[in-house]
Order: sequence, then C-alpha cells, then structure tokens
Amino acid sequence: MDVLTVKDLSVSFYRESGEIEAVKHVSFSLRAGEILVIMGDTGCGKSVLCKSILKLLPDIAKIKTGQIFLQGKEITHYTEKEMQKLRGTVFSMVFQNPMTALNPCMSVGAQIAEAVRLRNPELSRRERQDRVINLLELVGIDHPGERAGQYPFQLSGGMAQRCVIAIALAADPAVLFADEPTTSLDVGVQSQVLELLLELRKKLGMAVIFITHNPEVAAQMADRAALMRDGELYRIGDAEEIFGKTIPNNCGRID
Amino acid sequence: MRRKSLGRPYLTIVEELIKFVLSIFLLSVLVFTLSRLAPGDPLYAYYGDRVEKMSMEEQETARERLGLQESIPVQYVRWIKGAVRGDFGISYQYKRDVKEVIAGRLGNTLLLGGLGFIIIFVLALFLGLFCARREDQRADRVVCGIGTLTSCIPDFWLSLLLILVFSVWLRWLPGSGAYSVGAEGSLADRGRHLILPLSVVVLGHLWYYAYLVRNRLLEETRADYVLLARMKGLSGKQVLYRHCLRNALPSYLSMMAIAFPHILGGTYVAETVFSYPGIGTLAYESARYQDYNLLMVVSLLTGSMVILGNLAAKLLNGRIDPRMRLKTGAFKEEAERW
Ligand SMILES: Nc1ncnc2c1ncn2[C@@H]1O[C@H](COP(=O)(O)OP(=O)(O)O)[C@@H](O)[C@H]1O
Ligand SMILES: [Mg+2]
Repeated sequence: MDVLTVKDLSVSFYRESGEIEAVKHVSFSLRAGEILVIMGDTGCGKSVLCKSILKLLPDIAKIKTGQIFLQGKEITHYTEKEMQKLRGTVFSMVFQNPMTALNPCMSVGAQIAEAVRLRNPELSRRERQDRVINLLELVGIDHPGERAGQYPFQLSGGMAQRCVIAIALAADPAVLFADEPTTSLDVGVQSQVLELLLELRKKLGMAVIFITHNPEVAAQMADRAALMRDGELYRIGDAEEIFGKTIPNNCGRID
Repeated sequence: MRRKSLGRPYLTIVEELIKFVLSIFLLSVLVFTLSRLAPGDPLYAYYGDRVEKMSMEEQETARERLGLQESIPVQYVRWIKGAVRGDFGISYQYKRDVKEVIAGRLGNTLLLGGLGFIIIFVLALFLGLFCARREDQRADRVVCGIGTLTSCIPDFWLSLLLILVFSVWLRWLPGSGAYSVGAEGSLADRGRHLILPLSVVVLGHLWYYAYLVRNRLLEETRADYVLLARMKGLSGKQVLYRHCLRNALPSYLSMMAIAFPHILGGTYVAETVFSYPGIGTLAYESARYQDYNLLMVVSLLTGSMVILGNLAAKLLNGRIDPRMRLKTGAFKEEAERW
C-alpha cells in the first residue's frame, strides 16, 4: 500500500526576474515503512520537492501541475488549516542543520514538549514530561532528564540532531522527511545518526523520504532510490538496481 | 584568587558601578569645561538686564562672590568637593539651591518621559506584531505608509500643528504648562495638560520602533527554527507569538535601551515647545543663560538616566536570552524548568 503518491508534480518560483522551475513533472510513490532515498546534486530541487508536499514553501512558489495523494486521498489543494492538521501528526521532518532548526531561546525539553502537546493535547503535564523523557531515550540520549533542561547552544551537533529527531518522532508520523540530516554533522557522528534512523524505522515502522547528495549515505540508507537532476526525477528503483551491489560511488552516472 | 571567589554576578555589578562612576565623572569634566568656554556671561542669569547698569567694580565683586574669577580647574575642584557632599550650589536664575529647582521639575519630566516611553514600548510591539503578521498585505502597507508619514514630520512642527488644532481652534486642550493656575492638585487637569506633549513624544518616535520590531520579527520568520515549529503543526500566527517574538524580544529590549536617550531628547523638545515645566526646559534655559550650576546637574542627571536605562536593559536582556545569561553568570547549570 502506498502512503504517499506524487504524480507529475511541477513547482515554480515566480520572481520579478521571471519563473524558476525548481521541480519538473516529478512522479513517485512511497510505500509504507520503506526508506526512499532521493539523491541529486545541490540545487537540483530536492528540498523544494519535499517542502512542496508539506506546503512549507513561500508564497512566491506555486504548484504548477500534478497531484499529491496521502493514503489514497488527494491533498494537493489542502488549505493551510488542513495542512496544519497533517504536519506534526502524519508528516514530520528532520532538517539539515539542527543548530539552526532548534529555537535558540527555548530548552530542548520545552521544544519537544510543545510537539507532544500539539500531537496529544489530552496528556497531563506529568504524562507529557514522561513522554519527552521517553522520546529522548528513544533517540539515544543519556541522562534525558538533565538534557531536557538544556538549550541548543549547550549541545553538540549530533546531540542537537537527536533532539530534532525526537521532536519529529513526537508526532508518531506515517511519513518522516529527512532533508540531508547528516550533511552538517562530523563524519563520526554522521554514521551514528544514520544508524539511529535505520533502527527507529525498524522499531516504529514509519516510511522515510531521505534526501541526500551523498551516494555512500544513499546506498547505506535506501530500500529504494530516486535520482534527481535539474528538477527532474529521472530514475527510480530498488536500491540494488540503482546502486548495484558493489560500488555505490558510480551511481551518479548511471542513466 | 579573591576576585574569583566573589563570583561572576557580583563582579559584573562592581564593574558596572565603576563604569557608571567613571562615565559620570568624565561627563562632569566635559560639561563643566565646555559650559565655561562657551560665549556668554553668567551674570546675566543672576542679575538679568541690571548687569548693564552695574559698574565694573560691582561686576567684579559679583563674579568673585559666585566664584567665577578663578581658573577652570580650580573652579572644578571646588565644585566637585561640594558635589560629593551633595552641595551643587545655587541656580543663578532662580537664586535657589539647584536641587530644589530640579526637584520641583523632575516629577513632571519623569511623568511625561516615562509615560511616553511605556506607551511607545507597548504600541511599537503591538504595531510591529500587527504588521509582521500581515507582511505585504494591504493592512501592513497602510500602516507602514501612515507610520512613515508621521515619522517624517518634525517634532516641533507637529507640536505647533497640535496646538493650533486642539487648543487654538477647537479649544479642547491647553497648549502650554503642566497645570492650570489654581488647579495644581487636580489629576484631571494634569492629564489634560499632558495629552498634547505626550502625543508629540509618542507620535514622533513610535513608528521608528514599530518598524524596527516589524522588520526584526520578519527576519526571525525567515529563520530555520520556524520551519521546525511549523512542522509541529503550529500556525503561522502561533509560530510568530511563541517562537519569533521570544527570539526578537532580547534585541527589542536592548533597542529600547538605546531608545531611552532618544525618547528623552524628544521629551525635552516637547517640553520646550509646550512650555512644560520639566528638566528639558531647564536644560534649555540653563544652557542658554549660562546658569552653570543648574546646567551641571541637569546634564549629569540626564546622563545618569541614559546610563541606568542601558544598564537595566542589559540586565533584563541577560535574563531572557539564555546565551546572554551564560555570559553574565545568571545562568544556572542545573536543568531549567520546561
Ligand atoms: N526561495 C527561493 N526563491 C527562488 N528560487 C528558489 C528558492 N528556493 C529554491 N529555489 C530554486 O530551487 C532550486 C532547488 O533548490 P533546493 O530544492 O533547495 O535544492 P537542493 O536539491 O539542494 O535541496 C534552486 O536551484 C533554486 O533555483
Ligand atoms: Mg536542500
């Protein structure tokens, strides 16, 4: 069963200087519980593709053609109100730079608690705090009680990204968008975070759209992979088929 | 070692205190010297036009009696010796202790300036939020247009306009003074006298700060954390109030600290135009008539208000922004409440 289906999606930015076609006629579908890697060079439209599905683009960006289906239901023309109900419940997102994605003026506990409260408004304060601690444990943070009281600037990049992931998981999402979640991290930490995402997917069974420009990371994460270039998604298939069994570094040149 | 054991917060307070005393001292030297170097004869302040009828000897004696004969450094030393004991001399114009003259006016200025500051502070925040929420929509454009227009009108021109309309034509409000003769105790009367000068202070400054708030907030709405907040399911409005505002607030506070002298200056202009008996009118008169002792205290008082305003904002700022709190030592290492 497909959780998310995108058909013939085109997105353009309209500036005074003219139209910028960032995404052109992209079609793909995401199966329940799988990790779909979207790979392509910087600037090819990966982030715009995922933000257009989430309707997080600025007003100058418009969906020109295409349809988006969530669990078989068309959401292409959902209003902002309707999208708000999907964000933080069905959809979650992990960002490229955790240090700027977290609000610098709020403790991470408060930021996770906010997501929990929006998802489960029925929880008492006590239950909410327990949930925050659980989430922090889930993403592998030691001493979650103390960490929760800390501010983003007191955390390392890897630690901060774990907190961002905890916020994303608070939604208990059906689809997790991960937009280059390890690009800004140190190499050692990168693999830890990738391991964590793989483990979480296994545990929680959500589908993941994983965006990267790094072929090695792509090969490590992918169940299936889609390749993008200049706003076009020109190839999609199982990981073995796309990356081959051996040298993932070649994938960029496969046509 | 001992310095260290004092702990960061105490050190900051001591540091700030020393800085404060030094600045005031430097300011006093500067104003003292400059006022005496400026052209003009302080005897006019004391005797008025009678000076012209006085003989040379009489003038000499008068100068000697006021201690104006010695060199500037000697005069300064004498002044500061008195000042540390709380004796600031007499005002030449009012022939009374400077402290008394000022005490009678300080309340008026604090009322006008303080009310103006608070109103500007709150309204600017409100207007900034209003416009930021409606970026580039019609409401935002209209408010921006009106705002720009009001901030282009010079304070004194606006004052004259208001006096003309509300006190000359409509006769609704008094155009000068702080109270009517015979109604000194009446709050309503004071309020009526405050409305016009207060309007000038507020209208003259409001948009400048509201626009800064608007732009600062819009800058925040472009930040990365806004996307994360929206991905939690928050609406744009909720993100603005719960996240952006919190981040913009520390810089708004430090901005308002810098605003303090700016608004105080505006108060002084309004006081002068409306003949409102406050420190501003005193500052103007004392500088104009070489009323040295009065000028000194008015300058130092103004200086202190400016510095203390800055200091207050800095402390407040340190309470709100956790990064600043870490720097100022007010940050507790143990877990914060969340
Ligand atoms: N705010 C914007 N205004 C105009 N064009 C944009 C904007 N954001 C993205 N684009 C265009 O979309 C293209 C794809 O951007 P993006 O999706 O961020 O690339 P990436 O694949 O690296 O994530 C960019 O090359 C740029 O031309
Ligand atoms: Mg990107």
